[in-house]
Amino acid sequence: MFARIVGQSFARNPRRKMLTVAALVVGMAVATATLTIALEVGDRMAREFRSLGANLLVTPQSDTLPLEIGGVDYRPVDEGAYLQESELGKLKTIFWRHNILGFTPFLDVPTQLAGSRVTDTTLIGTWYEHDVPVPDGTTFKTGLGTTHPSWRIRGRWFRDGANEAVVGMTLAARDPEAFAIGKKIQVTHSDGVSSAASLEVTGIASTGGAEDNAILVPLSFVQAYSGHHGQFRQLYVSALTKPADALADRDPKSLTSAEYDRWFCSPYISSISYQIEQVIPGIDVRAIRRVAETEGRILSRVSTLLWIVTLAALIAAGLAVAATSAAAVLERRIEIGVMKAIGATNTAVTALFLTEHLTLALIGGAIGFLFGAGLARFLGASVFGTPASPRIILLPVVLGLAALVALIGGLIPLRRAARFDPAPILRGE
Amino acid sequence: MMFGRLLWKMLRSNRGRLAVALVAVTSGAAVISALLNLQFDIERKLTREFRTLGANLVISRGNALQANGDSSATPGAFGSPTLMDQSVLGQIERMRTPDVVAEAPFLYVVARAADTPVVVAGTWLDQISKLDPTWKLGGEWITSREDEAQCLVGRSVAQQFNLAPGGQIELGYLGRTAKLRVAGVIDAGGTEDNQVFVNLPVAQSLANLRGPEGQIQFVQLSVNGTATSISNYAEKLASSLPAYDVRPIRQVTEAEGNLLAHTRLLILSMVLLILLLTALCVLATMAALAMERRADVGLMKALGGSMSRILELFLAEVSVLGAAGGLIGCVVGVALAEWMGRRVFGTSITPRWDVFPLTIAMMVGVALAGALPLRFLGKIRPAVILRGK
Repeated sequence: MFARIVGQSFARNPRRKMLTVAALVVGMAVATATLTIALEVGDRMAREFRSLGANLLVTPQSDTLPLEIGGVDYRPVDEGAYLQESELGKLKTIFWRHNILGFTPFLDVPTQLAGSRVTDTTLIGTWYEHDVPVPDGTTFKTGLGTTHPSWRIRGRWFRDGANEAVVGMTLAARDPEAFAIGKKIQVTHSDGVSSAASLEVTGIASTGGAEDNAILVPLSFVQAYSGHHGQFRQLYVSALTKPADALADRDPKSLTSAEYDRWFCSPYISSISYQIEQVIPGIDVRAIRRVAETEGRILSRVSTLLWIVTLAALIAAGLAVAATSAAAVLERRIEIGVMKAIGATNTAVTALFLTEHLTLALIGGAIGFLFGAGLARFLGASVFGTPASPRIILLPVVLGLAALVALIGGLIPLRRAARFDPAPILRGE
Repeated sequence: MMFGRLLWKMLRSNRGRLAVALVAVTSGAAVISALLNLQFDIERKLTREFRTLGANLVISRGNALQANGDSSATPGAFGSPTLMDQSVLGQIERMRTPDVVAEAPFLYVVARAADTPVVVAGTWLDQISKLDPTWKLGGEWITSREDEAQCLVGRSVAQQFNLAPGGQIELGYLGRTAKLRVAGVIDAGGTEDNQVFVNLPVAQSLANLRGPEGQIQFVQLSVNGTATSISNYAEKLASSLPAYDVRPIRQVTEAEGNLLAHTRLLILSMVLLILLLTALCVLATMAALAMERRADVGLMKALGGSMSRILELFLAEVSVLGAAGGLIGCVVGVALAEWMGRRVFGTSITPRWDVFPLTIAMMVGVALAGALPLRFLGKIRPAVILRGK
């Protein structure tokens, strides 16, 4: 009997249900979309921040004081300590290996040029795109593209292992003829011991730093040229991290074992540094604080902001659904009057309407979830360039939310309806 | 005024229902005006956060001059191959705007301390804490750019030479020496950890570049603002300093621009969605209100009121409701925006007055749209309604 009345109500007057369902669909679509984006935004923004470049700097532990100005090390090659290139694959074996987006080693050596007005400059050996063997048998492609994304080039980057060079913009401007793309440049070693070598210029780079005044070449070339086979001096690492909080700033030695586990298993910049130091002994890992701190502050601000906005969207969605549910009940006052006149109890009337609303909430919530997933995909694509993937976990949340707001929206006018005297309603007052 | 009296009576006699609709309109207006206020202020707030990234403009000697046979072997100076006259600092100072957070010249000298080479950066020590707000200091900052007796040392330098705040360091370069007291140890988390920071005259004395025409290598500026306003300022500087090269530090400005654009787009799309929902909410309330007015319409028609006059009356009622709700909502919204600003950015949000008319207009529009079902009332015959069907 009860089910039949509910069924009839839907079959007889489907148009009347449209407004409520529409409100539910729109409300829940917005709720789904904002929740999906809010859940994903931390990760997305963290990735965006990687356009700032590397956030970790790895140097040898027992090093002499680097004579570094604006990123170029002016120490003689035979001074200071070195790191081993063969150990780099281990970076992809740490707990947070998937958060290591890229790393680039650097080896600088002063050099002299023959046949150019500019005689003294620096050769910077590095990787543009290099395949690093990882101990688990795979290879990892990394280089300047991920750690220094703001560097620009006219022409093309050098090929790994080739006798090719990319000249810094300022240096190239000092002797445009000698450093034109396609020209050969002759380098000799400062001490005059190593043999001269010839490099083909493939591009002019603009970095905004000291590299603008140097020559960028493949790492293997500088290693052979300076006699430091398989070695480098500095490593820039770009890692996805979580904004630092109270736990991140504490000394790992002072943590209890439960705290330590939580710290170790959170991608804080401090825990990633710690894990890198563990796999490659004898190194010093430092967070490039300027980048790391700015990133952390803005990330936490944007995500707080987004959660507030999401909350506002959820409240707005709830209000919209509740308002239409309330309107739906008010519209059917005459029906309620008839039911009560022929002996329906308040409980029966309330149960009937709430069942209707619950059914509508589930239908509207499910459709809204689908629309919301689409909306989140669209928003993700237009804001971050890649669509946000739908989260099934949100479906029960959204359905529950829909049921809750529809019930609340229905209950308030139903309680008022319960007080109605059927007679005046039936008379049409 | 018959019309005004009728309107007043209608508003008074239906206080209960109207209160519900008013609450709906007010809360909608509050949320919208708060978010709009936030949206307009967010760019300014976020660009300020980005200043922790350090300098974003560098002024150096132009490339054109370098080609004129300038030797790259300036005495002891590394990094930038050419020197420039420090008189440029006065010119930059005259162009300074409130958006310039910090400004500092730099001159690098590779000096020796106890026979170990170390990079000495000559700059304005009173500016560097503003230039790089993320630096941590053990000891105290040097607050005067004329102080020639003290210096700041990087963390690694302090380790190497076993220095603590209060200690002494002696720097030497080509026979010239400077004995300095270490005022503080800098933990910069970057290459600056390997450097000694002194005031510009000290570095100039070491490099023998001191005097009224003292030399520097480049000037760094930290400028607050959006990517466009920064590049505008850079262009203005460049046109008044034709001999110099004014360059934005691309890494910083580009990343800033991208992130800002994305954050704003994200918040904007959220605001639009909320706007849609609020409109829907107000629409439903107003539609319900309109439906309840069917009996009134029937009565008015029976008494000989023309449909256009009746509609006018109802639309006036709805507009008053929208405007009143919008106004109250805006005031609540300003308070809401203030709370959000404190919660998210720790500073208050400056309310924008243009948000007020915008929000009120939007609310009146939505309320009028909600009254659309009244149109159908034109078809209704008064007799049917008065009978109560």
